[in-house]
Amino acid sequence: MPYREKFSWLSLAAMVVTYVPYFAIVFAGYFPVRPLPDLRQLSLFALVSIVRVLILGIGYLYLRLGSPQEARTPPDERDLAIKSHSMSSAYYVLISGMIYVGCFMPFTSAGWTIVNAALFMIVTAEVVREGVVVFCYRRQA
Amino acid sequence: MMEGAISNRIRMLRFHNGEMSQAELGQRIGLTRQTIAAIEAGKYSPTLEAAFRIAQVFNVPLGEVFQWEVRDGQ
Repeated sequence: MPYREKFSWLSLAAMVVTYVPYFAIVFAGYFPVRPLPDLRQLSLFALVSIVRVLILGIGYLYLRLGSPQEARTPPDERDLAIKSHSMSSAYYVLISGMIYVGCFMPFTSAGWTIVNAALFMIVTAEVVREGVVVFCYRRQA
Repeated sequence: MMEGAISNRIRMLRFHNGEMSQAELGQRIGLTRQTIAAIEAGKYSPTLEAAFRIAQVFNVPLGEVFQWEVRDGQ
């Protein structure tokens, strides 16, 4: 498995472990609506983000030490083509989400609902990006 | 539009060049072993530049490495 595909799997796993529980809690309505800034929700999001960074950091070190030569190899034309394809796919998801969150949601929602919707769209775009990377590598493997 | 597929003889050319490994070929033209494997399996079409580099490694014309096969009925 290419080094960059392994890193995409790691990134997907880190998002599943952190953001799935976060959004499950948020969308289940665990947090009552409070005036901004709602520090409880902010703290949970900060905690989730720190855990994600830690998972990525440890995983990155593990992968790098596991295959140091592959890690040093610069991306080749196929890696760059896959990266470009994944970025453009994620861009469309992100821009659609931001149009919805920025242009429609302010008329119906407020506060953390909008913030969480924006975060959800960012995470979704990131999942799409990493997912397309994994899909392309698997398809061409 | 003409329908067809690109085939290649990289596996055979590697064999005739001292059973050159995919990793070695990749190293000589700046591609990863996985990319060479994908090209060889016909799952990834390299850029024209990479195709010329591959041909140069084996010291053969481009047409001996890659072929365009027109599909039946065309």
